[in-house]
Amino acid sequence: MRIGIDVGGTFTDVVLVNEKEGTFHYTKTPTTHYDLAEGVLKGLAEILEIAGASIQEVRHLIHGTTIGTNAIVEGKGAKVGLITTKGFEDVLEIRRVARPKEAAFDFEADNPPPLVPRYMRRGVPERTNSKGEVIVPLDESAVREVIEFFKAQRAEAIVISMLFSFLNPCHEQRAAGICRQFYPEVFITLSSEICPEFREYERTCTTVMNGYLGPVIKRYMDNLMRRLQEKYGKIRLHIMQSNGGLMTAEVAADHAAHLINSGPAGGALAAAFVTKLVGRQMSVGVDMGGTTFDISMIDHGIPKTTTWGGVTEYPIKLPMVDLKTIGAGGGSLAYVDEGGVLYVGPQSAGSDPGPACYGWGGTLPTVSDANLVLNRLNPGYFLGGKIPLYPEKARRAIEEHVARKMAVSVEEAALSIVEIANANMVKGINGVSVQRGYDLREFALISFGGAAGNHAVEIAAALGIQEIVVPPICGNLSALGLVVADIQYNRVRTLAHKKAGDLPTVIRNAFRDLEQEAIRQLTEQEVRPEDILIEWSADMRYEGQSWELNTPIRRTPEFGETEFRAVLEGFHDLHKKVYSYSEPRERVEFINVRVKAVGKNPTLSLPSFPLKPAPLTQALKENRPVYFKAKGFVEVPIYERDCISCGSPIVGPCLIEEKISATLLPFGTRAKVDQFKNIVIRFEYT
Amino acid sequence: MYKADPVTMQVIRYGLEAIAYDMGYNLMRMGRTTIVKEIMDINCAVLDASGGILSQANLSPFMLFSMPLTAANILKMVPDLEEGDIIISNDPYLGGQHLLDVQFFSPVFVQGQLIAFVSNIAHQLDMGGAVPGGVAGGLTEIFQEGLRIPPIKLYRRGKEDPQIINLISRNIRIPEKTLEDFRAQAATTTWGVSRVKDLVSTYGLGTFMACKEMLLDYGEEIVRRAIQNLPDGDYTGEDFLDDDGQTHEPLKVQVNVRIRGDEMSVDFEGSSPQARGNVNCPWACTQGAVFYTIVGIVDPYMVINSGTFRPIHVDSREGLITRPMAPAGVTARSQTMTKITEAMLKAMSYVVPDRVVAGSHGQACTCSFVGIHPETGKPFGYVEIQGGGAGARPRKDGPDGQDLHLGRFMNTPVEAAEMEYPVMIERYELIPDSGGAGKFRGGLALRRDIRFLTDVTWARYSDRQKFQPQGLFRGKPGSVGRLILNPGTEREQQQRSKGVDQLKKGDVLSIRLPGSGGYGSPLERDPKLVQWDVLNGKVSLKSACEDYGVVLNDDLSLNEGATRSLREKIKTDHRETYPGT
Repeated sequence: MRIGIDVGGTFTDVVLVNEKEGTFHYTKTPTTHYDLAEGVLKGLAEILEIAGASIQEVRHLIHGTTIGTNAIVEGKGAKVGLITTKGFEDVLEIRRVARPKEAAFDFEADNPPPLVPRYMRRGVPERTNSKGEVIVPLDESAVREVIEFFKAQRAEAIVISMLFSFLNPCHEQRAAGICRQFYPEVFITLSSEICPEFREYERTCTTVMNGYLGPVIKRYMDNLMRRLQEKYGKIRLHIMQSNGGLMTAEVAADHAAHLINSGPAGGALAAAFVTKLVGRQMSVGVDMGGTTFDISMIDHGIPKTTTWGGVTEYPIKLPMVDLKTIGAGGGSLAYVDEGGVLYVGPQSAGSDPGPACYGWGGTLPTVSDANLVLNRLNPGYFLGGKIPLYPEKARRAIEEHVARKMAVSVEEAALSIVEIANANMVKGINGVSVQRGYDLREFALISFGGAAGNHAVEIAAALGIQEIVVPPICGNLSALGLVVADIQYNRVRTLAHKKAGDLPTVIRNAFRDLEQEAIRQLTEQEVRPEDILIEWSADMRYEGQSWELNTPIRRTPEFGETEFRAVLEGFHDLHKKVYSYSEPRERVEFINVRVKAVGKNPTLSLPSFPLKPAPLTQALKENRPVYFKAKGFVEVPIYERDCISCGSPIVGPCLIEEKISATLLPFGTRAKVDQFKNIVIRFEYT
Repeated sequence: MYKADPVTMQVIRYGLEAIAYDMGYNLMRMGRTTIVKEIMDINCAVLDASGGILSQANLSPFMLFSMPLTAANILKMVPDLEEGDIIISNDPYLGGQHLLDVQFFSPVFVQGQLIAFVSNIAHQLDMGGAVPGGVAGGLTEIFQEGLRIPPIKLYRRGKEDPQIINLISRNIRIPEKTLEDFRAQAATTTWGVSRVKDLVSTYGLGTFMACKEMLLDYGEEIVRRAIQNLPDGDYTGEDFLDDDGQTHEPLKVQVNVRIRGDEMSVDFEGSSPQARGNVNCPWACTQGAVFYTIVGIVDPYMVINSGTFRPIHVDSREGLITRPMAPAGVTARSQTMTKITEAMLKAMSYVVPDRVVAGSHGQACTCSFVGIHPETGKPFGYVEIQGGGAGARPRKDGPDGQDLHLGRFMNTPVEAAEMEYPVMIERYELIPDSGGAGKFRGGLALRRDIRFLTDVTWARYSDRQKFQPQGLFRGKPGSVGRLILNPGTEREQQQRSKGVDQLKKGDVLSIRLPGSGGYGSPLERDPKLVQWDVLNGKVSLKSACEDYGVVLNDDLSLNEGATRSLREKIKTDHRETYPGT
C-alpha cells in the first residue's frame, strides 16, 4: 500500500493505492497553515479510514510540500551568514548584472533582494585558481573571526562558497571544520557539496538557498516526524524532490534546496505515469488551476529536467523537473486596452475577490466567467455544486468590461476571452517544446487541474497535437505523482577540461566516483542493490560555447575510446535536433558529468476496468445549448463522467461533466473512456 | 477580401513574438563568443516585406532600429531575393550600429511572394580594423574600425558563398570564432523562416497580411493615446561626453522634445557637431535611444512595432554627433546613445516627474583584451562589459550594479573568464558611496580588478570620468568612473576612458564604473534606510552625516534627536538648495 500526501496552498490532497487489490482511494482536506502537520495527519487518518486500512499495511508514505517555495516567497527562511573568497562578497548581490527578464523597458522592475544582506556576507583571504591549485592559503584566523561575528549575530545557517571550490574543496572543508569547532550548533552548507559546478553566482545562490531553507525544513520535518511517531509509532516518510525523485525525511534538511517545487514535480510525474498508461512515450502535461498554467514535457516516459531552473528569479543549479508556469487560469482577468485589443492575464482574480460569477464581490471578467457565459460550465455543478455560480454576474462583467468596448455581443466577447487565453497557453507550450526541437504531432496532451478540460482540445488543435488524455481524479494528480515516484540522487562534477589529458579515462573515473557516492546515499536509505538504476549524462558544448547541452551517455563501466566517440556523435545529433545545426568537425568540451541514481520502487499498476461499451443514455444528464465559434449556441448532450462505462464511444460536440472539472468535446472530435477511466480524445479526419 | 479581427490579430501577434524570442534563445545557446553567449548583445525580429518591425525580442533594445533601416536598404540594393537567401550587413551608414554588430536577414516567401523577413543582429568578437576586438575608442575614420559590409548575400538559395566567407576571413583576426557565430546566426534565421511559414499556413496568407496591418495600426493607436495624455509643450535636456578619445574637449548632447496633441517630435539642435574621434552615433542608434526612453515612460509593456513609432518624428541635421556623415568613426557610439537617453529623461522629467529616473552610469564600459594564451599558444579575445549604478526612481532606490538602459546584458562569471583566458580576477564588488544621495538613493557602481597572466592589447571605450550622473529633484549626482592601472602600487596610473594600450604580464587593471544619481532630497530619506545602508557598508558614516543629515551612535543605532537637529541645520545652511523648507 502506498499513500501520497501533497500539501498545496488551499488543499492537502491524499491518495492511497492498494497494489494488491488494485484499489484506489483519494481525499482532500483543507491545508492547515498554522501547523501544516495537522492537515497531513488529518488527511492520513481520513484516507486510512476510507480505505479501511491500518498504518502497518502502508509500505510507502510519501510527502510533497511547498514549504520551501513558500519560505522563499514570504521571506521566512533562516538568518544566513555567508563566507566567500575575500573581494567577492558581493557576487550574490551583483548576480549577472542583468535586469529582470521581462523588463527591457521597465525602469521600475527589480530583481529580488539577495537572501543574505551585505553585512552578513564576509570574505576571508584565500584563493584557488582555475586549475584547482591553491594560490593563497586559507587565513584560518580570519575564518574564526567571521564565525564569531556570525555567532554574535545569531546566524541559523552558515554558507561557505569560495571560488573554484568545485575543483578543490579543501578550503571550504577546512572553514567548515573551524565552524563546527566554534559554532557547533549552526547549520553548515558548502557550495562544493551542494552544487560543485562552475559559475560562482549560480553556485553561491543555490548553496545559499540550501542554507536559507535548511533550518526551516528541519524544524518542519522534526515536528512532522514526532507527531507521526506519537500517533503511529516508527514510520518511514519519503519526501518528493524537485528532480522528481524521493528522499527520506531524515536527510531532507541537508538537501533543502532540492525541495523547492516539490509539489508541482508530483504533477509532472503523474503526467508521465498517465502517458505510459495510455501506451505512449511523449506528451505535454498541462495543469490549469485558478491562477496558473503549469507545463511539463514528458520525453520517453520521463519528465524533462533542467539544471537552469529556479524559483522567483533566484537561479537554482540543481536538476529539477522542467516546469514552465504562465499566468493563465480560470481566474485570469480579461481586459480591453485603449487600442481596443483584448488581453487575458497574467493578473488573476484569485480567490479574493474571485471571478465575478462566484458572487464573492468580484466584478471583473475572468476566463471562468467566459466559460460560464458560453454554457461550458454548469452553474449548479461547480465543485459538485458546493459553490453556486451566478451567470448574470458573469454576463454583466463581460458586457461592461469587454463586449461594450469591442462592440460585440456578450457571447462573442466571452468566446474571444477563451481564444486569447488559449493563445497564451499555446505560446507557453510552444516555448518549451517547438523551441527545444520537439515535433508535437507525435505527442499527447495530458490535461489536468480543475480548469483545463474546457480548453485542452482547442489548445491541442492549435499545436497540432492529435490526442488528448483527461485522466480520472484529475484534481488530485500531484498526489498520484508522489506514489509513483522512485528514490533518486543526482551527483555532478565539473571537469577542469583544459588540463584533462586522456579524456576517456578522466570521464570514466569521474563517473565511477560519482556512482559510488550516489550508491552510498541510496544504500543509506535502505535501497536494495538490485533496485538501483544508474544513468549517465554529460553537459557538453562546442569549444567556446557557454551553454551546455545535457547529453545522455550509455553507461559502460569499461568506458574507452569507442564509447567516447559514440558520445561525441550523440552530442552532434542532439545539437542538430535542438538548434537545427551541428559542427561534427569541431572540438567538443565536457563540462560537467552527471550521474542519476534511482532506487526503483515496484511499478504501480492501476486497477483496470473491463471495457463494456454501453449507450450513453445512462450518462446523459440533459441537453444544453453551448456556444461555439461561427455556430453560436448549439444544443449538445451533457454527460456525467462517472456514469460513462469504459469503452463507450463518445462523439463531439458534447460536454462531459464531473465534480471538479468539465471537458469540452468540440465538433470534429471523438473520445473513449479507456480501461483506466481516462477520457481519450482524438480529432476526426474528414 | 480578408477581414482582420482583433482577436485573430492578437493570436498572430503572440505567434510572432514567440518566434522572435525563440530565435534569441537559440542564438544565445549556440553562440561561441562571450559577447553572444554570456553577455547576450543580440537581438531578433520578424519584419514585414517592407522592413517594418512586426515583433522583436527585447534583448538589446538599442539594436531595435537597425533592422527596419537596413531592410529598406536591402530592398534597394539587393536584387533578386530568393528563397533560402541570407543577407548580411554591418554598415552604420546603411542602418547598422557599429561594424562589430552584424545583421542577418532571411526573406520569407509564401506562394512566391515576399511576405516578411526574419532578422537577427549580434556583436562579433572581431571584424578587423586597427585594433583587435574592435572596441577601441579614439579612431577617426570608419575605415580604421574594421571591415564594412553593405547588404550582400552570404547564402544564396541556402548555400553559403565561399568567396564571401573567404573575403571576410582574410580581413578579421580570429575568423574561426566569428564564423562560428555567423553560422549560428544563419541557422537561427533559417529556423525563424520556417516558423513564420508555419504561422502563415495556419491562418492563411490573406488573414496574416490583414492582421499584420491591423497590428501596426494598433501600435500607432496606443502611442497616440499616450502622447495625447502628455501636456503640450517644448522641453529640453542635455548631457555631456568626457571627450572623443582624440582631444580632451567635452561634447554636448541636447535633446529637444516638442509635444503637440497626439504627436511628438524630437530633434538634437544644440548638440555638438560630429566628432573626430569615434563617439559619433549612427542614425539607427540615435532613434533607438529616443524610442527606448519613450516606451519606458509611456508603457514598458506596450506592443512594439513599426506602427508604434508613426506618431513620433525624430529628426537630426546631418553632421551632428547624433547623425554623422561618412566616413566618421562610430565604434564608441554607445557612449553617445546612453547620453541621448539621459538627456531625454531629463527633458521628460519636466513633463512626467513620476515616470522618469535619475541619471544612471550612462555609458558602456567595454574592454577587449587580446593576446596569445600561454597554455595553448592560440590567440584569444576576451571582452568585458560591466554594469554600473542605475538611477534612483520616484518611489524607490536605484538598483545597485546593473546593466545599462539600452542594453540588457550579463556579466562574464569570474570562473568562466579564468577558465578560458589567462587572467586572474582579484575583486568584484560594489563601490560604497557611489550612488548619489537622495530621498531615494542612486544604485552603486561595480568594481572589477583583473590581473593579466600574459601580455595583452587592451582596447576600450567608456565615459563619465568627468561628468557625474545627474540627480533629480534635489537628489545628488553619483560618482564618476575610473580606469586605474596597478592600483595601490607605485606604478598606479589613471587611464583615459577611450583608447588602446599594451598591458604587461602581472599588470592589474581596476575597472570602476560610474554610480548614479539620487531622486528627491536626501534630507527626506527615511533615516532607517540610511542606517541600513551604513550597516551594509553601502553608505559611509561620513556620507550619512554630511549628505543625509543622519546621526548614528557607535553601535550604529539611530540617534533621532541629533538627526532631527542636524537636518534642520543643513536646511538653514543651504537655503538655496532647500528653499522654502
